[in-house]
This record gives sequence, C-alpha cells and structure tokens, in this order.
Amino acid sequence: MKRFIIEREIENAGDLTADQLADIAQTSNEAVASLGVPYTWVNSYVAGDKIYCVHEAEDAETILEHARRGGFPANKVTEVANEFGPHSAGARVS
Amino acid sequence: MQLLERENELTVLRTAVDGAVQGQGSGVALAGDSGFGKSALIEALCRDVTGARVLRTHCDPLDTPRPLGPFRDLRRLQLAGLERGEDFLLAELCEQIYTSLAAEPTVLVVEDLHWVDAASTDVLRFLARRVESMPLALILSYRDREIDPRHSARRLLGDIASLDGLTQVALQPLSVDSVRTLLEGTGLEPERVHAITGGNPFFAAEVAKEPDLPLPNSVRDAVLAHTSEVEPNDFEVLQLIATAPDRLDDRALPLLGVDLPTLRRLDATSLLTRTDDGIVFRHELARQAVETTIPPGGGSRLHAVLLDVLEQVETRDPAVLSHHAVGARDGARATHYARLAGEDAARAGAHTESAAFFATALEHLTTDDPRERAGLLLQLSYQQYMTSRLVEAIDNVRATFPLWERAGDAAGLAAAHEAVALYEYYSARRRQAETHSGRAADIAVAPAAGLALGTARALQGYLAMMRSEIEQAREFFAEATQVAAEHDDGLLTLKSGLFRATTELVCEEDGARSNLLDHIDAARDGGWDELASTGYSQIANLDVEHGRFRAAENLLQLSIPFTIERDIPICRHWQTAVRSRLHLHQGHWNAALEDAGDVLNSEGMPLAKLWPYLVNVLVPLRRGESADLNALDEVWALADLIDEPLRRLAVLAALAEVSWMTGEPDERVREDAVDQLADLTAQPGASWGAGHLAVWLRRLDLPVGVSGELAEPFRLALEGRHADAARWWNLAGDPFAEAMSWSDSSDPDERVRGIKLLDGLGAVGTADRHRVVMRAEGFTAVPQRPRQSTRANPAGLTNRQLEVAKLVARGLSNAEIAARLYISPKTADHHVSAILAKIGLPTRRAVVVQATELGLT
Repeated sequence: MKRFIIEREIENAGDLTADQLADIAQTSNEAVASLGVPYTWVNSYVAGDKIYCVHEAEDAETILEHARRGGFPANKVTEVANEFGPHSAGARVS
Repeated sequence: MQLLERENELTVLRTAVDGAVQGQGSGVALAGDSGFGKSALIEALCRDVTGARVLRTHCDPLDTPRPLGPFRDLRRLQLAGLERGEDFLLAELCEQIYTSLAAEPTVLVVEDLHWVDAASTDVLRFLARRVESMPLALILSYRDREIDPRHSARRLLGDIASLDGLTQVALQPLSVDSVRTLLEGTGLEPERVHAITGGNPFFAAEVAKEPDLPLPNSVRDAVLAHTSEVEPNDFEVLQLIATAPDRLDDRALPLLGVDLPTLRRLDATSLLTRTDDGIVFRHELARQAVETTIPPGGGSRLHAVLLDVLEQVETRDPAVLSHHAVGARDGARATHYARLAGEDAARAGAHTESAAFFATALEHLTTDDPRERAGLLLQLSYQQYMTSRLVEAIDNVRATFPLWERAGDAAGLAAAHEAVALYEYYSARRRQAETHSGRAADIAVAPAAGLALGTARALQGYLAMMRSEIEQAREFFAEATQVAAEHDDGLLTLKSGLFRATTELVCEEDGARSNLLDHIDAARDGGWDELASTGYSQIANLDVEHGRFRAAENLLQLSIPFTIERDIPICRHWQTAVRSRLHLHQGHWNAALEDAGDVLNSEGMPLAKLWPYLVNVLVPLRRGESADLNALDEVWALADLIDEPLRRLAVLAALAEVSWMTGEPDERVREDAVDQLADLTAQPGASWGAGHLAVWLRRLDLPVGVSGELAEPFRLALEGRHADAARWWNLAGDPFAEAMSWSDSSDPDERVRGIKLLDGLGAVGTADRHRVVMRAEGFTAVPQRPRQSTRANPAGLTNRQLEVAKLVARGLSNAEIAARLYISPKTADHHVSAILAKIGLPTRRAVVVQATELGLT
C-alpha cells in the first residue's frame, strides 16, 4: 500500500457544517467499501477552499476510482515519498 | 484506432483549430454512418491541440433527449441556470456561452447531433451564426441518414450549408487498400473483409482483432467475439451498462455492487471507456451489440435496477429516470418522472422534447383521477401549440372537456375552452374560436371560476377587435378590466389596457401608438413577454396597414429578435408574415418572397399565411414571371374562414390587381368587391384597406361606392390628384404605389414616368401591362422594355443583404459591419460586393449618396 495526498477543490469548504462533513464521510466510506481492493482513508483536513486527504491504496488509479464513486473532485493526487516530524531529528543514520 | 484515409478530413479540422488559436473562428460538421470513424477522427484531433482549450460533449441517446444535455455536461463553462427546475432564458444562456467561448481560444466538440434536442439546436445555431467573430473551432458530428426533414437539427444543418465559415465533411467508406492495411499480419483476405464490412472502419477493425475466429457476419458478431471469455456475472454488468445509454454514473457503482476488480476484468474486452462522470461503451455499435444479448423480459429488470439506484444518486435527472421507468414498465414512476422532465424541458425552451415527455407521462398514467389526465393533456397541448402542431393541440384539449366535467372543475373546463379558442383562431377558424371563448365565459360565471371570466372576456374582446367590431370589443375589455380589479390581477389589468390601446390605434385615434408602446413597455417590465410580443405584433401589422413603413421597419427590427429570444413562435410567424407584406410595399421583392417562404414552409399558423400567399402571387406577377394563380383560391378560402373585414379587403384588392394584370374578369372582384365596398368602408379602421381596393376597382373601371372616409393617398387618387398621391407614396417609401399613381394620370408624360419607375423597380410585368394599355389607346411614344434594370434598386436583396446594405448606406466600414453582425471582415466584404452587384452601383460611396432613393435610410 502506498500513501497519497489528495487535493480536492471545493468552494467554501471551510464553511461545511459537522452534519455535512458526516454525510461526506458516509459517502466516502461507502465508496471505500465498494472498491473490493485494499484501501484506507487515513484522515482529511479542511482548509479554505480545499480539502486535503491522506489515503492509502495500491496506486493513484485506485485513488481516482474512489473519488469517482464518491462523486468527489480529485484535482491533484501525489504519492507521499516520506514522512518525518520532530522525532526525526534523533533518527540520523550517518 | 488506426486512422486511414482520413488525412484530408483531419487537415480540415486542424485548419479550423489553427484559425481559432489565431482568433478566427469557423465550424466543421462531420457526417458519416455509425462506425465511420467520426469519434476516432475527433480523438486524433483533440490529442494534439495546443494553444486552445478543448471542450468535448455529446448528445443523449435517450428515447427523448435531455434538454440542453450537451451543455449541461460542460461544467467547465460554469453556465448559470442549468440546474434542474431553475427558470432561465435560452437567450441568456446563449449570451453566457458566447461570452465564455469568446474569452479564450476553444475547440468545442458536440458529437452525435442526430440525438440533439431542440433547445441545444437553438444554442448551436446561435453560435454558428457568430462563429467567425469568436476564437472558436466548432466541431459537430452526426449520422446524416438519421436526420430527416422534421428533425430539429435540420435547420442547423441548413445554416451550416449556407453560412460563411462553416463546412460540411462527409466521411467515405474505406477502400480495399486501407482494409488491407488494417488486416496486416492477420492472414485475412482484404477483398472478403471489405465486402462483408462495406468498408466500415469500425467493423473492419473489430474483424482484425479476432483473426482466428470465423469471419463474423455482422458488427454484432464481431463485437461479441471479444466477450467470449467474460464470466456470466461480469457479463450482466456489461448488459447493465448497455441499458444506460447516456452513461453509467460512477456514483451508482457502490450501490450496484460493482467492484474495481470487476471493472478491471471488463476493461480487457476493450469495449468500455470512462468519461468525466461515468462508464460508457467505446462505441455505440458495441453498446447495441451487447444490448441484443439481453433476453426477453430481462431488459425491464435491468432498467428497474438502474432506476432504484439512480433515484439515490443526486442530482436526480427526471429525463434519465423516466427513460428507465419506461424501460422498467413502472407506470407510476414513468408518469411521475416524465411529467417533471416535461416541465424541465418547457422551462429550457425545448418544446419538442417537452411534448414528448408529456406524451410519455400520459401513455403510462395509471390513476383514474380525471383531473390528473386533463392537466397532463393541457400541458401537452400547450407544448404542441409551441411547436406549431395545432391540430394535435386542439384534439388534446378537446379530450379534456369530459374529464373536467367528471371532476366537477369549472375553472379547468373554462381554461380548456379558452385554450381551444385561441388555437382555433390561430388555425384561422374564427367561428369555432368565438364559440369556445363564449363557452369559457359562460362556464366561468360560476363563483369558483374567479379570474377565468375576465380572461375569457379579454379573449372575446380580442376576437371582436380583429373583426373590426370595436364597440363590442370595448365592452368586453371593460368587463375584463372590472374582473381584474376585483381580483387585483396585474396581468389581466394590463392585458385589457393593451388591447384597448390597440383598438384606439385601429381607429387611428390621436396618441394611440405611443399609448400602446407604453403598455408594451409595462408588459416587458412586468416580465409578461407574450403580452408584450402580442402588442408588437399588433403595432407592426397596423403600421404597415396605415402606410407607416419606416416605423414598421424599425419596430420589426426590434420585435422579431424579441420573439426568437423569448421563444414565442406564434408571434414570430405573424411578424415575419407582416414583414413580407412590408417588403412588398417597399419593392424588396426577394426579401418579401424569402419571408413568405419562411412562414409557409414552417408548419405554422394558418392565420399568418394570408400575406405570404398574396406575396407569392403578386411578386412574380409584378416582375413579369409566371405566378401560380390557383393559389388565389386558397387565399380566398382562408379569408372566408378568418372572416375579418381588413383581411378580406386586402385579398379583394390583390384579386383586383391580378384581374387588372391578366385582363381576366374575376367574379369575386366584379360582384363581391363592388357590392361589399360601401359596407366595408364603413367599418372602423377600414379607411386604408378600403381605399386600396377602391383604387384598384377604379383602374378596372368598376363602380366605386364609398360610404366612409378614405385614407389620404387614396382620397387624392379618387379625386384625380395623381401627382399628389404619387408624392405621398414617395415620402412614405412605397415605390410601387408611387409608380402606379403616376400611371393612373391622364397626362401621357406622367404615365410614362410611372412606367419607367416600374421598370427601374424590376416590376416589368406591371410596366408591360401599362405599355399594352397605352399602345391600345394609340400612344406611340411608349418607352421600350429595358434589356436590364437601368435604375439602381434593392429589389433583389435578401433580408440579410438588406441588413448589410443599410449599414453600408450609413457609411460603416467592413470592419464595423463585421463587428456589428458577428461575421468576419472577409465575409462582410463578400456581402458588400454581392450587394453592389445586385443593386447595380459601382461603389459603396454611391450607396451612401443614393441611400434615400434606395429606401435604405
């Protein structure tokens, strides 16, 4: 499984209510369940006119298939090359 | 798919795209049977477009297409108002699309025009007429065999054939050599495959894919050969996709339980492809092939599955849902969705589709509720009226009478009688119209009927007014006004006022015309387009009747576009007919014939056909060409049906002119016209029509008994003041009447002057008649018939050329003309050259100098 960042352009996404986000989450879960291949929705972040999602799948095509089935935009799909954080400072290898 | 023998076509398409990138728009229409590679060609083109955005869309293969389907799918244009159930004006949509396409170089592809809806046809015609002024390559494709003369795309194809900047390209079958190329390495015999496939590229390519199988006998067999390995469960998914001709919405996949591995397996058949929002067959022939494998009875089950699923997917599209409900044989839902789709289509101005949806709703109606059936029939009839199907419209409204009675619904019954009254009147059957409007008023007296009495009275008044029964009309309008006040109804108040103002104009009362214009403005401000348009129709007609030709011309320039923009076909027919009469007065023979043909060829309103019939007889007669005089019997019958003094006077005057031209006595003139003239003259508003007839009777040496006041030019003529009459017509802008007035004189010089004017107008038939008369009277100095028209005149110009000629006369340059008419400067240049040749003037400067004489001011 690879990890992907998905940028979804949705006008006024920041104004979405908790109920609306619940509906979107349900649609997304149903789309995940319908794929019939390994797929994990990790998390999503609403910011301005965009929603940034972190998903795991075999390839970018499967990410797009999930978006199609959910009726979501997927304006940019980028594979995550690496992850690091404050803890990474102590993880030098050389 | 490999492109073979399509280099020339591809070059034409690429040239259009290059032009668009450089700001010079054009259009290409690709015609060819299914499988001839229209889509493959468009694919190849779109793959390497640079410097322009590509917008690709297609028409719906549903039983009844979604109104504006191709434009609804163009989300990138961000068109407002296309959401379901929103009211919007087609004209505004056209403007939006135009603005959007003019903003940046664009390749707009609309495929499968043979499935196009009427509203999309209107939008495409709008774009086609302006294509040269936009950075646009408009690429259309269609199967020419599937577009019959009644098809809504027919007019668009007519435009493509006649307008500048648009070309048609017909795709041909492949040669044996190209089939050989396709089959390379397969071991198959090119000649045999060519014979089986008829050179159809799709079919031949399918055969090449499965060289080891026996040669298929049909496209169907060739397609199904790809599915031999498909598991039964997967095959059912294929059949489900084949049941959704527009596309299988991606969002339906979870509900249908179709997972990604299934789609991957089906992808191996190479039959499917993904669009922006769904799965479709790569080719319609492939879809049809799979559809034929659905067993009897299986189709309705698949439709039912899709219907259940699509009901859960937003935004629900009633056009698609009604298609599946019909397929599922689910009557209740078919009626429900078809009605909604019909209402949507009506809002979008797609009346042909709207009528089809209402007919579907009725066909599947399961309830016994008479009110529901009657309501649907009334909705259907209105859409049929909007598409000029008056006979069916009347039948359908009549069918509602017993239903309203059964439902005990007086208001509904009154509304039905009122609708029939109007349709009967447009069908030129006055008697039936009067009967039904009277019935509507009688029924509407019941207290529950409320406003219906007022609207019925307004209609009765309108019918009376058209028949010159002015006093009675005013009484009806007064009663309508009273009902409107009781119910505080703005529309009925304004309608009564507007009709009353029209009666004032009929009677030529002071200030009537500006009063009527004020009412029209109020109607426009209130959003009552149809009432405003009716007002324009009345003014235009009376302007021509009363000799205000320039005023009529200015008004029609504004009002005809209004009828098109606001989608009011009845008024467009009527006003085009009025314009053909106006052109007849102005000596614009070709433009008159063009308008007359337009009205007679569109299955329109019999009521509007009177002037076009007359124009079709009088123009060739005046020009000295052969005229179909038998058509006069039809006009006479029509005038009888319409039974209105002003219409009858016009027909009698035309019969008198024909009689004078041919020397054949006509009973209708010698008896009816002579006997009725005095009575007709006494009618309110008849001073022009009666004057016109009186002058022709005088020319035939028949008795002229006049009881009322005649309009000025005719009074002058009957008093023998022919020069004054001629000057009057000259100022008014009616060169034919001017010439005839000179010829009415007893002074030989003035008579010769008339003959020369007629020659100059191209009315050599009329001039010859005068020559014969003068020679018979012993005059020798009669001018010879000229070899060709010696005087510059605009008689040969079409409506479009007249439009351009007026701009030339005002001193506009080609670039300015091009900008104003949305054409390229090169096209404007062509128009101007053609106009100068037809008018017979050497330079545009000469047109400016002679603008007044040419009647182009």
